[in-house]
Amino acid sequence: MLQVNSLTKTFRLARKKRAREQSLDPRQKGRWFHAIDGIDLGVHRGQVLGLLGPNGAGKTTLLRILSTSLKPTSGVVLCDGEDLTKNPLEIRKRIGFVSGNTGLYGRLTAREMLCYYGKLHGITGTTLDERIGLLAQKLGMGWFLDQRNETLSSGMRQKVSIARALIHDPEILLFDELTTGLDVAAAESVLTVVAACKSEGRTVLFSTHHMDEVDQLCDSVVIIHEGKICFEGGVDAMRSQTGETFLDKAFLKLIKPKTEGATI
Amino acid sequence: MKAGFQTVFFKEMKDVLRDRKTLLLMIVLPIVVVPLLLSLLIGFVMKKEKEARTEVLEYVVFGGEFAPELAKTFEEAKGYKKVALGSPDELVAAIREDRIDFGLVIPEQAAAQLSEQEQALVELHFDNASMSSKVEDRVEDLVEEFNTELTAARLANLGVPQGEKQESLLEPVRLGKQGTGEIREVIGERIGGMVPYFFIAFCFMGVVYPAIHLGAGEKERGTLETLLLAPIPRHQVVLGKFLAVFCGGIIAVLLNLASLGTWLAIKAGELRGIIGTIIGSIDLLDLVLLALMLIPVAAMFAALLLSASIFARNSAEASTLISPLGIVLIIPAALAMLPGVELNWFWAWVPITNISLAMKELLKGTMDYTMLVAILTSSTLIAGGLLFFCAKWFNRENVLFRM
Repeated sequence: MLQVNSLTKTFRLARKKRAREQSLDPRQKGRWFHAIDGIDLGVHRGQVLGLLGPNGAGKTTLLRILSTSLKPTSGVVLCDGEDLTKNPLEIRKRIGFVSGNTGLYGRLTAREMLCYYGKLHGITGTTLDERIGLLAQKLGMGWFLDQRNETLSSGMRQKVSIARALIHDPEILLFDELTTGLDVAAAESVLTVVAACKSEGRTVLFSTHHMDEVDQLCDSVVIIHEGKICFEGGVDAMRSQTGETFLDKAFLKLIKPKTEGATI
Repeated sequence: MKAGFQTVFFKEMKDVLRDRKTLLLMIVLPIVVVPLLLSLLIGFVMKKEKEARTEVLEYVVFGGEFAPELAKTFEEAKGYKKVALGSPDELVAAIREDRIDFGLVIPEQAAAQLSEQEQALVELHFDNASMSSKVEDRVEDLVEEFNTELTAARLANLGVPQGEKQESLLEPVRLGKQGTGEIREVIGERIGGMVPYFFIAFCFMGVVYPAIHLGAGEKERGTLETLLLAPIPRHQVVLGKFLAVFCGGIIAVLLNLASLGTWLAIKAGELRGIIGTIIGSIDLLDLVLLALMLIPVAAMFAALLLSASIFARNSAEASTLISPLGIVLIIPAALAMLPGVELNWFWAWVPITNISLAMKELLKGTMDYTMLVAILTSSTLIAGGLLFFCAKWFNRENVLFRM
């Protein structure tokens, strides 16, 4: 179970950026930028929570805090009741993170890359070999396991990224725009893996711009806009609340009042 | 199980050694390019030197009839060819156009002056802008030879017998120079400042690419974020990366040292006796100390460049940050080349300059080994401080996720 309470994250802006973005974003107050402001959410085991929001809404900042890359300015994140900021090294063993622009070490092979992250997580020897074998079979990447990452296609690279995030068998998975830049077939095979993670009882936080993926995978949805939650509920609630059949239109309606408010 | 920094280190080394640019700077440059360039450069200089000493100089003499003995000396000397030219007014143009190498103008009064045992002024026209020209030296040598014979004859005419009597008259006090410096010390003083400069520059070059690749390169590729999620403390990530960058510098320096040493050992016979003497007088301990002193230099460079690289958003920005740093770091090394800058207890504490001066002293064979304590202590403390700063730097969100 992942529980987030009153989470905020504030960045101090560089002078140039401060001047450039003055008055463009209501989250900028003087030299401070409130990337996320008072976020509360919860995801249970075996549940996929869809994280939606326009570009710059604060999704990536939220995921970075949940993955322990960034420290929150205030608020609490509990991972099975344990405060994430108190012992991040232990929490990292339970979290896997993949982003659409996650890079790979081009000069390493997929196997070498998985070995590296496995060792960083304290997995060695036959346990590591078995784990790599299992993931290769599950993700259908056995045939390119010994190829250098720089020679792989986008879909193959994303599979390696997912395998990297799963190497230590984490309970919580954070996926940030996982299918960005992938073709239909590659995106479909990646989404199958996400569905498998859900059926294995893992907690999944899934950030995306594709409403069909939300429809297909998510048990509930949180929409973030300008650093705040503007909707929380199921996919059906999104439709019923907006009166729209298509999720794209429902999403636009849900963020529209906020956007208009910001531009007035 | 390996510590986190070891895992990071071994992976980074594998990654770095698979990079062609790094391999080129770290391995190919010192092993192949440096000795090749040195061979070509020294070969070219020696060839030019030999050519300048032995080439036939074409010259003209105006007023040869006023000093026939002098004119005859040039005519009979080997390596000179007399040519004709219209008038002395054409001398400058002829020299500029390379039609002649030099011209002598003997004035009319020279005949009377020489016969009356006075001093005559003979004008030498030559191209003094040419660095490689040996015209002035060669003509002076020949005139000196002529003067010696003429002086001896004049003194003999005055009743001074040739030999010691003439010498004592011409040079009442003669300095018997007894230099205390060995040839190694003399040569070491002259070229000793340049050698550490090159080693320090090579060390810097060896560190640059790994630092950019493992710092800004990780950000650019998007791998830094996933690395930061590994359950190891960030200082271990920094330590692993630092060791890989540091090894880049050390490998570059050691290969340079080895390839240069091998090249000099092979070429020593050809490069005349002095260099052979110097090489022979540098013992194994000196070489070990040279390598030892470059360790803190590589550590300083690695920590500083990694900090700059991790601050940059991408490799291009890292290169922009590191280029001026290169100049700043090389200046203290160049200080050792300045006259009057000697290793003492003050300079022993100045980073990089102290290493440069100590290497110079080692090459001269005049190293005060007690100063090594100060040199190594100050350098190691600075390297440690920079590494500590790098680790702290690596923990800052506004550095890692700079917008």
